[in-house]
Amino acid sequence: MASIIDFTDICKTFKVPERTKGKWSTFKNFFARKHKLIHALKNVTFEVEEGDIVGYIGPNGAGKSTTIKIMSGILTPTSGTCKINGLVPWKNRREFVKNIGVVFGQRSQLWWDVPVIDSFELLRDIYKIPKDEFDQTLKILDKALNLEDLLGRPLRQLSLGQKMKCELAGSLLHRPKILFLDEPTIGLDAVTKLAVRDFIKFINKEWHTTIILTTHDMSDIEALTNKIILIGKGQILYQGSFDNIKSKYSSAKTIEVEFSKDYDNVELDGYTVVSHNKKYATLKNLPSTEFHTKDFVNQITKKYEVVDFQVSSLSVDEILAKLYKEFELSER
Amino acid sequence: MGKSYLGIFRMEFKGELQYRAKAISGIATQLFWGLLQIYLYMAFLNTESVDGFSITQMASYIWLGQAFFAMRYILMGKNIGQSITNGNVCYKFVRPLNLYNQWYSETLGQKVASTLLRFPLILIIAALLPVGLGLSAPVSIPALLLCIVGILLGVCMSTTLSMFIVWLTFKTLSEKGSATIISTISGLLSGMVIPLPMMPQAVQNVINYLPFRFVSDLPFRIYIGNVGITDGLIFLAIGFAWLVLLTILGKLLIKSALKKTVIQGG
Repeated sequence: MASIIDFTDICKTFKVPERTKGKWSTFKNFFARKHKLIHALKNVTFEVEEGDIVGYIGPNGAGKSTTIKIMSGILTPTSGTCKINGLVPWKNRREFVKNIGVVFGQRSQLWWDVPVIDSFELLRDIYKIPKDEFDQTLKILDKALNLEDLLGRPLRQLSLGQKMKCELAGSLLHRPKILFLDEPTIGLDAVTKLAVRDFIKFINKEWHTTIILTTHDMSDIEALTNKIILIGKGQILYQGSFDNIKSKYSSAKTIEVEFSKDYDNVELDGYTVVSHNKKYATLKNLPSTEFHTKDFVNQITKKYEVVDFQVSSLSVDEILAKLYKEFELSER
Repeated sequence: MGKSYLGIFRMEFKGELQYRAKAISGIATQLFWGLLQIYLYMAFLNTESVDGFSITQMASYIWLGQAFFAMRYILMGKNIGQSITNGNVCYKFVRPLNLYNQWYSETLGQKVASTLLRFPLILIIAALLPVGLGLSAPVSIPALLLCIVGILLGVCMSTTLSMFIVWLTFKTLSEKGSATIISTISGLLSGMVIPLPMMPQAVQNVINYLPFRFVSDLPFRIYIGNVGITDGLIFLAIGFAWLVLLTILGKLLIKSALKKTVIQGG
């Protein structure tokens, strides 16, 4: 399939005033201000195919929002080329934005004081959506998100979850080809989160909408995306399927063992002992040891009297933390 | 094309109409200020007229100014400044619309709505006050009509000038500071602080040709007959030229400011 987003060698550099410390510094800075350059994005290149749901992940400050802002035409990059849906976002902004929808999880695009339906009708005028098409779209969105009781109420009276549902619907009224979601599930309770996820899947399937999603919630990534792009310190570190990363790290196991009596010392070939407290011990397999339950049982029961044990793989969050650490991305 | 901007105008208009308590307290303030100003000038002047500007005319001038205060006051739409400083403005960028026009429709909608909520009651009350203290009838029907045209020009001029606050906010990221600078300058030069006919002739000769006086001074002076019909028409033409010029300038400035915009955070 053809790629709908082509992001090539994008760099974005910000110039920010530098504050020096020390006596008189505020005074000195007032007259002679030093600037330093911050490289928010360094030669970022990736492609997204039509109909993909892409998870765009990375630690705080990695450059995720900057990328989304460039892709939605809000920011102009310092260098590099970008073609989305055949257009350069920041050059043909007004033409370009007709085919995208954007939801910034922490901001609102709807009008605060008036009923939600009034906001929707204004968006209908702004995007010049024909009346019957608008009614049809609204019907679909209403059915998928249960909007009915919300539409007549002013936005300020809605809860965070209800607001997010309305924001999502608002960004899709003109049936954009591409939807950018910047942390859409932030602050939502479990039920609403699942509803939002189901909705995103539904839209992707029904309208074949390409979706770019940033989030810190790894269960979002696992449930939704078929591709992830990992960014850190302004550079792309990995792009591909999430399963690849998972299988790479799923060989690492943690085994909690309970013994029938107290041992002073626990040792096992091929394993490191993470913690040990009389009857209880936690072990991890060394990278060289491939874990097999049968071998492990044979090996450990020869040395110790075992009552019970439990094996667990890394959680998605742990895998990611490990990835960040490997790339030295975690903030100190 | 125009439909989208009209939609934004209507939305802000409707939003503003919801604030009834604000309108009522606004009316009370305006009535109080009007009376205060008139008594103050009467006490200081102690004459029948200043350079042909009579006390009766002055009272009408001040009442018209109070009635249309919401229109005269140079202030951008109430959410614009905040959206620039907190970054919510990014949603404006993802609409297939011109940003300047979006802000213009927003500000105009709020100005028109809050003016419509206030002016009828103030005018009625002012007209009921005794002669010399209250609002007198217009000097002639043509003067009244020309005054209405002048008010329409004034509300557009006020909005156009407000857009410079938007520009300055982009530059300085300080909503309050930008608004204070521009509204203070225009307040003084548009007769909001001291009625322009009471200023020294030399000063008037300059101020009369600056864009600020078209925000409020001109229509009121046509109403009271201080500016004749012919002069009024000439000045309205000058005002219209200023409006076009300043709107173009505002558009260019905002366009260049947007190029350098960085939306931070989140």
